[in-house]
Amino acid sequence: MNGAYLLSQVANGLILGSMYALIAIGFSMIYGIVRLINFAHGDIFTIGAFATLASIAVIQAPFPVVLAIVLVVGAAVGLLIERAAFRPMRGAPQVTGFIASLAVSIIIENLAVLTVSAQPRTFAVPAYLNRLIPLGGLNVRMIDIAIVLLAIILMIALVLFVRFTKIGVAMRATAENYDVARLMGININRMIGIAFAIGSALAAVAGLMWGTKYGQISPLMGVLPGLKAFVAAVIGGVGSITGAVLGGYVLGMAEVLFVGLLPPEYSGYRNAFVFGALILVLLVMPNGILGRSTEQRA
Amino acid sequence: MSAPRNTFLPRFAIAALVGAALVALADANLNPYLLSIIQFIGLNIILAVSLNVTNGFIGLFSLGHPAFMTVGGYVAAILVIPPERKAALLPDLPAFLAAQEWSFLPALIAGGSVAALVALIVGFPVLRLRGHYLAVATLGLIFIVQSFAVNLRGVTRGALGLSGLPELTNLWWVYLFCLVTIYVCWQLKHSSLGRTMLAIRENELAASCLGVKVARMRILSFVLGAFLAGIAGGLWVHLVTLISPSSFSFILAFEIVVMVVLGGTGSITGAVLVAVVLSVLTQLLRPVEEAANLFGASQMIVAFVVLVVLITRPKGLFGTAEPDLVGWLLRPFRKSKAA
Amino acid sequence: MLRLEDVHVRRGGTHALRGVSLEIEEGEIVALIGANGAGKTTTLATISGLLRPQSGRILFAPGRGEPERDLTKMRAEDIVAAGISHCPEGRQVFANLSVTENLRIGAYLRNDKAAIEKDVADIQAQFPILRSRAQLPGDRLSGGEQMMLVIGRALMSKPRLLLLDEPSLGLAPQLVEQIFDILAEIRRQGVTVLLVEQNASMALELGDRAYVLEAGSLVLHGSGRELAGNPDIQRAYLGGA
Repeated sequence: MNGAYLLSQVANGLILGSMYALIAIGFSMIYGIVRLINFAHGDIFTIGAFATLASIAVIQAPFPVVLAIVLVVGAAVGLLIERAAFRPMRGAPQVTGFIASLAVSIIIENLAVLTVSAQPRTFAVPAYLNRLIPLGGLNVRMIDIAIVLLAIILMIALVLFVRFTKIGVAMRATAENYDVARLMGININRMIGIAFAIGSALAAVAGLMWGTKYGQISPLMGVLPGLKAFVAAVIGGVGSITGAVLGGYVLGMAEVLFVGLLPPEYSGYRNAFVFGALILVLLVMPNGILGRSTEQRA
Repeated sequence: MSAPRNTFLPRFAIAALVGAALVALADANLNPYLLSIIQFIGLNIILAVSLNVTNGFIGLFSLGHPAFMTVGGYVAAILVIPPERKAALLPDLPAFLAAQEWSFLPALIAGGSVAALVALIVGFPVLRLRGHYLAVATLGLIFIVQSFAVNLRGVTRGALGLSGLPELTNLWWVYLFCLVTIYVCWQLKHSSLGRTMLAIRENELAASCLGVKVARMRILSFVLGAFLAGIAGGLWVHLVTLISPSSFSFILAFEIVVMVVLGGTGSITGAVLVAVVLSVLTQLLRPVEEAANLFGASQMIVAFVVLVVLITRPKGLFGTAEPDLVGWLLRPFRKSKAA
Repeated sequence: MLRLEDVHVRRGGTHALRGVSLEIEEGEIVALIGANGAGKTTTLATISGLLRPQSGRILFAPGRGEPERDLTKMRAEDIVAAGISHCPEGRQVFANLSVTENLRIGAYLRNDKAAIEKDVADIQAQFPILRSRAQLPGDRLSGGEQMMLVIGRALMSKPRLLLLDEPSLGLAPQLVEQIFDILAEIRRQGVTVLLVEQNASMALELGDRAYVLEAGSLVLHGSGRELAGNPDIQRAYLGGA
């Protein structure tokens, strides 16, 4: 095993981790504010990938425009789901919301299969994204650098938003206590809607990244990355944005190194490894790496 | 209205006999396609009622049933396949397994037992988790079991799966295990053990203050659910004569959980009713979706119905109650007797 | 300024308020006293829109001559905008927000940035501890400091009417006195106060008028002094013989 191989594995871990982190942020934000594990989150990732495909293939949009479209589509779908499925059952037991999100997920997946068929699709990526760039002894594709940079920019922007803007502060207040937040004049439903919109937009961008990197997308592509991003969010500490980011990178790196460094006969156990890690982490650190033991809210 | 315990046995006996008559009638008259549909409905009843022990009685939100079905299905299949066929299908099978040729019932029970054993081993760490975390950990269990099924090629034949299994499952077997499942779960729910479980669901802290061994009860209900799921897995694969790592996916977990939740967590009658209605609905929609070339539409409709029920009746259709169906069906007869 | 007319509230299966009618004039401090579970907190939560009454009206006019609005038809956030600030029981600072963020969030519905910062500075001048601990998370303050923080936070919305729930709960006696001085100061600034208190002697001393709530109904009403002299009140709430 040589240094360059190891380095390229680390790079791959960073890329996969960036995508997991973006999806995990949404899980964490939504859980933080409504105590709901949104199973349909992985499907928004899929929708992001298809929105990318559509805006490249149909309207030949340049890449920054594609990015903007994907962000908007993701946010809109997130808002729609929240409005149609979750808001009507606000206040119901947690399990109800969880099953509702599974139902939403099944509806989206079948709708996707019906409309675009289950056949995987490839899409053409602009040539400049595939250009190889020498970086620290490695030849890295432009798209790989773009993924990591874009992810980091979005995450910094989000952290700044939540930390310093009025809406961000209000979202943190809402996540902590609905009633007191309402007494401040905060519209709870609006804050929940914003959390859904932001989280979904980020998941959609992760879908764009996944599609451009691997060049192939399908209606069910979001199931496993979605679940794994949830694992990442739990590892980091559900409810914490920095935790989700950390968990995303830890899981992405661990998964790539598990496959890359162990003998090939183990690589088939990739998924078992991820979920085994989840169970292990939950047992050792029930609140994840950065999560604090929060109050139990029904 | 819930049926008190002392009226359960006679009612159960009546229902069982009527059911047996219907089964005999169906077995003699219906074509194999319809019979297989009825068997799937029965399997769904077994799955929903057994998951209800874990999710409904004690309030553990498990999605792990497909994992236990996979385990039970593989174990039963490997034990039942005749050695000569095993030599062709699974040349690398360890010698002690390759020589086995069990009859159906012991193989089913062995499948259930291994599933229960897996539940026992997994349960100790996993059942310390709560709510969502438990749900996702058990969901992860499906993927873990799947990974092993794909990769332990010597025993499972990997992604190809085991095909051409003997067609051993018939309506009588399914009916028998339906009865066993309902009987066991009903007696459990109305025993002191079952009431303890319901107490844990309602208020774990209070239950543990009263000296209830909460952890032990959790494991017990998880293991019992897994045992029955393992048996259902064995029945299932000998009905479709095929098992592969993707036979039992998390979509199935969703469907079973929906039956439990819509029926009302804890209500056996509710679980049975919703299992029947949902299976029939799916079967009725299937030809429609095939004709219209809209594959997946039936799943969508079911999911949509689920959403509507959750929004309008968040506690499920029956809560924990057991509506007195037999009494309700018998009412016309009673009236005529009185008149 | 505020008028409750025959307000009935049910909470979970219990009939928590059984026809409560009361009135508050601008500039008053009105105390609402009663035993645990009498419905004091429910009354405040109903006024501020956290609970919906089954029947009855709650009419509010922010100042003399301004139109009355029925609060029972408004959302909690619109009631804040109308000029009522509710400082809930048990302090309830936001632990995930710094002390200053806690203050600023009180002004969530205001958009005058410069004026908000000036009000933050004013409150910090009044409670210097809130300046020296400005960047700490809200829950790192002591109980008394948290009380000052939540009162300051409630004032940040520039309310005309302040609903204050059990400000003395769990505080040392000299802190309680300090809190009541603050209340007197708030009144001087022209804010009307509806005060819910277990500490009846303090409440009756400070309140211009007081209502006594028992099992969801108002049983007595009078000036603070009158009630403090009432033998029933002395026996039930003031620990007198």
